[in-house]
Amino acid sequence: MLSTEPVTTPVRATKLEVKDLNVFYGEFQAIKDASMDVPENRVTALIGPSGCGKSTFIRALNRMHDLSPGVTVKGHVRLDGQDIYGKDVDPVTIRHRIGMVFQRPNPFPKTIYENVVYGPKIHGLSDRRKLAEVCERGLRRAALWDEVKDRLNESALDLSGGQQQRLCIARVLAVEPEVILMDEPASALDPIATSKIEDLIGELKRDYTVVIVTHSMQQAARISDFTSFFLLGDLIEIGTTSEVFTKPKDKRTEDYITGRYG
Amino acid sequence: MTATTPSTATPFVRKDNASQRRLADAVATGLLWTAALGIVLLLAVFIGYLLYLGAHVISWHFLTAPPSEISAGGGIGPEIFNSFYILVLTLIFTVPVATAAGIYLQEYARPGLFNSTVQFCAESLATIPSIVMGLFGLIVFVQVLHWHFTALGGALALTLLNLPALMRVTQEGLASVPQALREGSMALGATKWQTIRRVVLPGSIAPLTTGIILIAGRIIGETAVLIYTAGVSVSPGRSAFNWNPFHPAETLSVHLWYTHSEGLVPDAVDIGNGSALVLLLIVLVFNISARILGRGLSRHFTGK
Repeated sequence: MLSTEPVTTPVRATKLEVKDLNVFYGEFQAIKDASMDVPENRVTALIGPSGCGKSTFIRALNRMHDLSPGVTVKGHVRLDGQDIYGKDVDPVTIRHRIGMVFQRPNPFPKTIYENVVYGPKIHGLSDRRKLAEVCERGLRRAALWDEVKDRLNESALDLSGGQQQRLCIARVLAVEPEVILMDEPASALDPIATSKIEDLIGELKRDYTVVIVTHSMQQAARISDFTSFFLLGDLIEIGTTSEVFTKPKDKRTEDYITGRYG
Repeated sequence: MTATTPSTATPFVRKDNASQRRLADAVATGLLWTAALGIVLLLAVFIGYLLYLGAHVISWHFLTAPPSEISAGGGIGPEIFNSFYILVLTLIFTVPVATAAGIYLQEYARPGLFNSTVQFCAESLATIPSIVMGLFGLIVFVQVLHWHFTALGGALALTLLNLPALMRVTQEGLASVPQALREGSMALGATKWQTIRRVVLPGSIAPLTTGIILIAGRIIGETAVLIYTAGVSVSPGRSAFNWNPFHPAETLSVHLWYTHSEGLVPDAVDIGNGSALVLLLIVLVFNISARILGRGLSRHFTGK
């Protein structure tokens, strides 16, 4: 089954433009000359076998590699035409506009409420009433409100794994980013929690541009509009999800899709 | 499967050495339990013995009166005050510097020559025996600066002695906060300082507080370094509370050493036992409050 909403206009505005991206861990080159366009208000999935570099690639899209010593990024990533690796660019501003959800839910050891309003607070919102509104809106959009509305002042660590992950999504939504990066957001979750996250991603693309790494081809097929296939640090192929899954251009993509790889 | 190997019906149960493994398990459990019990017993015996020796000495008079040089019946009031006074001075100097240095090394410094140099210096500083630090203090504060024996000199020498340990405690406390939380904060557009201030420090407040209090317990019991810097006498006025940091300030632990080894008073042994008991109780209170406070703070800051 492919994405429920068909891709009506194949060419959309490009939100993120990746050009000749190279990422090195010390001497080891994890991403080699990758270039791709990420269309606005669509879900783009990154697939490939373990160790192919898809997580490394997505972390380069909001400069998360800056935090790890020994990682070098070369090339260009343009957000609405502006290179996020440009000389005068503040990575903090970039991460405000490009949020990220991680593989393992990583709620702060604070209350549910404090988790959601963390972003707005650090960006200067202090009005209690507005913060409460932001909190409710974020939790509603992350489809978590009904489950937690009576326990906002309890620890986020008491939530289930799936709830924690939706809380992390709510936390990102609360800072109103333009792009949401998700690094295997459902890989640590059970099937029911996974399907909730997948439904949510379908909702999110109306307002946001979503890039998601997934190790599950079924998941990519279910939720994404575009799919790119990585293998050993190379971006092999990118196209609409239906094209990549039914008529892959590259032999290696076909081998992976049909289960002959990793 | 053929009928010739009936014993391998369930390959995961190896009957041949099951009892052996169970025995090894029991022995290991027993040994570890005994070791743990040994530590508890040791402490219990120690406290019990000191109570037996020193409990009868303790009275309101003993806890508040100034010490006596010649006649019996001296107290330890000024010593108790000095112990806490020097402790507070030391913490005022140590905590900000050690925390700042620890934060820098753990959160900002990239691995490199500067970082490893600082680490090496801190480790070297940590291995300096307290008597050597005491002699250093004697030269610098007492002689070169002409302060003579002072509470301030003692506190500064103690600061040098405990700075590395507290820096280590800070680093370990910060390191106990998962990297994923830092990334989560940065991915929301937080700056590094906002992340440290709002996520990392609150997340490590429990180990930090515990560490500071445990080191405070150590400072309270420190002796050698103070003999040469804060001196073995209390301030000349003999009032129990002398806030002037430039007065000599014999602490409880120094008093304990002094009466036992140099004291002229006829009840030196009693004074020593009483002082030892009070000192032990203070340190115990420190350690217990470290646990309680650590747990309470962690609950407060994690919303649990």
